[in-house]
Amino acid sequence: MQRSSPPSSDPSAAKAGPRGPVLELRDLVTRFPGDDGPLSIVDGVSLSVASGETLAVVGESGSGKTMTFLSAIGLIPPPGRVTSGQVLLEGTDLLTHTPEQLRAVRGERISMVFQDPLTGLNPVFTIGEQIVEVLRAHRKLSRAEARKKAIELLERVQIPDPGRRVDDYPHQLSGGMRQRVLIAMAISLDPSVLIADEPTTALDVTVQAQVLELLAELREESGMAMVLITHDLGLVARHADRVAVMYAGRVVEQGSAKAVFEQTAHPYTLSLFRGVPSLDTDTAQDLIEIEGQPPDPAFLPPGCAFEPRCFLGQGRASCQATRPGLQPTLGTEHQTACLHSAELTATRARA
Amino acid sequence: MNADLRSTGEHETLLQADDLSKVFGGRGLLFRRSRPEVRAVDKVSFSVRRGETLGIVGETGSGKSTLGRLLIRLLDPSAGRIVFDGRDITGLAQGRMRKLRHEMQMVFQDPYGSLDPRMKVGAIVAEPMLVHGAERSGIARRTAEILEWVGLSPAMAERYPHEFSGGQRQRIGIARAMALDPKLLILDEPVSALDVSIQAQILNLLRDLQRQSGVTYIFIAHDLAVVRHISERVAVMYLGKIVETAPRERLYAAPRHPYSASLLSAVPLPNLRAERQRKRIALYGEIGSATALPGGCRFHPRCFKARLVAAAGGVATTALSKDVVVPSRCTDSEPPLADDGNGHFAACHFPLDPNGAEARDSAPFAAGQSRRHS
Amino acid sequence: MASGEMARDSAIPRQPAGPDDPEAARRRRQAALRRYTRHPGFMVGATIILLLALLAILAPWIAPNSPLKTEMSLVLAEPSWAYPLGTDQFGRCVLSRLIYGAQISLQVGFWVVLISLTCGTLIGALAGFLGGWIERAIVALIDIMLAFPGFLLALALVAAQGSSLTSVITAVSIAYTPRVATVMRSVVLTIRPRPFIEASHAIGLTKLRILLRHVIPNAMPPVIVVATVSAATAILAEAGLSFLGLGVQPPTATWGSVIANGQAVITTRPLISLSAGLSIAVAVIGLNLLGDGLRDTLDPQMRRQTGAKML
Repeated sequence: MQRSSPPSSDPSAAKAGPRGPVLELRDLVTRFPGDDGPLSIVDGVSLSVASGETLAVVGESGSGKTMTFLSAIGLIPPPGRVTSGQVLLEGTDLLTHTPEQLRAVRGERISMVFQDPLTGLNPVFTIGEQIVEVLRAHRKLSRAEARKKAIELLERVQIPDPGRRVDDYPHQLSGGMRQRVLIAMAISLDPSVLIADEPTTALDVTVQAQVLELLAELREESGMAMVLITHDLGLVARHADRVAVMYAGRVVEQGSAKAVFEQTAHPYTLSLFRGVPSLDTDTAQDLIEIEGQPPDPAFLPPGCAFEPRCFLGQGRASCQATRPGLQPTLGTEHQTACLHSAELTATRARA
Repeated sequence: MNADLRSTGEHETLLQADDLSKVFGGRGLLFRRSRPEVRAVDKVSFSVRRGETLGIVGETGSGKSTLGRLLIRLLDPSAGRIVFDGRDITGLAQGRMRKLRHEMQMVFQDPYGSLDPRMKVGAIVAEPMLVHGAERSGIARRTAEILEWVGLSPAMAERYPHEFSGGQRQRIGIARAMALDPKLLILDEPVSALDVSIQAQILNLLRDLQRQSGVTYIFIAHDLAVVRHISERVAVMYLGKIVETAPRERLYAAPRHPYSASLLSAVPLPNLRAERQRKRIALYGEIGSATALPGGCRFHPRCFKARLVAAAGGVATTALSKDVVVPSRCTDSEPPLADDGNGHFAACHFPLDPNGAEARDSAPFAAGQSRRHS
Repeated sequence: MASGEMARDSAIPRQPAGPDDPEAARRRRQAALRRYTRHPGFMVGATIILLLALLAILAPWIAPNSPLKTEMSLVLAEPSWAYPLGTDQFGRCVLSRLIYGAQISLQVGFWVVLISLTCGTLIGALAGFLGGWIERAIVALIDIMLAFPGFLLALALVAAQGSSLTSVITAVSIAYTPRVATVMRSVVLTIRPRPFIEASHAIGLTKLRILLRHVIPNAMPPVIVVATVSAATAILAEAGLSFLGLGVQPPTATWGSVIANGQAVITTRPLISLSAGLSIAVAVIGLNLLGDGLRDTLDPQMRRQTGAKML
């Protein structure tokens, strides 16, 4: 709220400070009306990301990973509603902002890149016009200045021949190039936080690698915090500093990438590691699959949401009775929402 | 050049494609729309043995899905020949082709769109049996059997598709395809629309079904790890051509086509240590368009090996731009899909060495690879 | 909960969980029903049409008098207990004529919808599904027919055929079939590229079966909506023809002829024309409300998918 006059803001001030969290979600709850009362699609999520850091948020469709961040930036689609919690961006709670203030914050200090690079662009305007529009909505720039800045931005996202490309229409670009344009728009105002929601899921693997490397470079140059929402554990391994795994609207495990990958403390995470084919799985064996279907938010069990599918907890009275919260495991930085995570050590050794 | 592919034994070969091509667009009929010609599949030859799984990988625009549809004549080929189970089906009339459909079936990518939303699951699975003249009395029993076989409860036959999750719908799609006990199943990206936790279920199910029925699979996908898991042999497609085909282990351990090597290096591993030590091979530019194919080898504008060979000297070279020089052979002649003597075919004038060292050591790093992790 | 049990009870090792709860299925059915009952427009429209239909069917028992019996002693009588809306210039009971008139109007509406829906659906579906020169020929024909205002076309046809209930229905059906066909064709064009149609080809279905079993059922919801609304215009058209004396021949009671008869005495007895006009308006509004309600509620899949995408 202190920084409601955007043009005077100095993003570097926040970034120069110690690596405290730039964006912090505390106990965020988002509900949608259901046939039998409201459903908590985001159910008490606490997450934070520091400047210069990449937080990967891993989960399947319906896990609430996208909804968490849409809630955070005030873009939750109706009839959904954030019902409690805090979203602290550099110390101020975005949930207390008016829609007008939120609009100023979006793009300016926090921006988002979405999965589908085609729907993010308006087909009847050139990409240059669209970048100029973003710039002029937030900054007092002349058309010529804004266009010059747009060309610079296209160059920063490594679009070849930006002086000519700036006048292209979205359909003249490949999927990878369109995603670069969206990234250019997202970083055009030097945000402190960039949220990338499955930014490469719609792209081919070789293009995906290029786009993610671009994002990593931009983050290093600018020191912004990055949230990478994905289901691809390979991308997490390559790009994340910290990892949060979500299931049924909750964070079930979080910690440093090293901790989550090498001392996995939640059976769901471990099942993902074991069950997803990769270039080094043993093809002679069947994959170790997770039973059942992803949870339906309208029919969540009273206990742990993963219990019906869990190799550790299925049918266990303790798991069916209580829904576990996040608890520190070995280090305080590494947390898991599993009552029996100690038993995972043995499984890990076998895996 | 296909002699060796065929020599695997005529009786063992279930499906064979010779110089199969599909060109879209071009001539317009009435209003003379001259859309540009797209060579989606361009003189592709290969064969599939009974009971094996052939994986076909490629990126968007590689023509892999078009190829799959050509093989079972959902699309008519522009040129070439398809021999299925010893008989040429290339020119078979639609009516006779329909009768053959019970031997060749397809599972589609989109589990939401590929089932008729207004039909009950039981009717969906029973429909192929009904139209292929199964006895009505047996159909209900068989439907229940198949539903059970793919891991659904027979009671689910009374439900509509929208009541099911993606993974279950894909099981329904598989049940429909397997209902007539086909000899060949074309799987077009069968797991790419599914959640990661569900993919393993479907892949295991497919392997199970194959073990039990001996059905032959052609598994089309963009995900190299998934293809690796399920296929015995793998073909890599690029802009309408098969550029490399080999037994799985050899292709993944030591790709010989520079494109396959680049593609493999771009797949991230879900393993922290291994992934951060890996390097990604440079792949220049983006996949070209099938409307304006480059001459000679269609991969040469993006190829790292061509640049290395040209830089090493000793071959005639052609400059593509002021700092890109490639061997003239790459721009002038299209390399044939050639065997190295071990069933490993690559369409490259300068294939990578067979032990995989070249892709590992001398290939250039992709620009912009994250420097922080080492 | 149910899924876990099933996994253990079943002979198959991999039993996926799912919407297997009978309770959940019951709730889903209830929710589907609720979509209709909670739509105020649908409920009001359906009630109006249902009441009109009852009125028409039970006319011989409900109507206080015969619609045809002329009572020369009671020409242009004021409303009374015996003649609640009075009588017209031939001494006929206006209310009874309106009640019997509902029979004609609803018959016209019903048959026009049935005929134009059947023909339009088939023509449109064939055009959209087969494509090629067949489609171009049908589209050209439809365009020509649509170039005439529907009412004028019906007028011309009735004038040529001579007026009777059958010829009114035929004429109005011919005028409205192209509208249904146009909608059908455009809907079929959106269905044709959907993956389940390709899947139907892949399992070896004939084109005819694909058209009848897969294309048309999926195209029906928007077409039914159009048909419902065109029932309203058909009723209007019939009234218009009757008003001009080209409809069902007198002395049969129709709403249009009641208006026409009342017109002569509209300054002294406005109630006659007004009550007939009001009847037409109520029927048309009822059908339009019903059509709008159907549009909002007929496609559960679409609602579900957009809902799912939202999450």
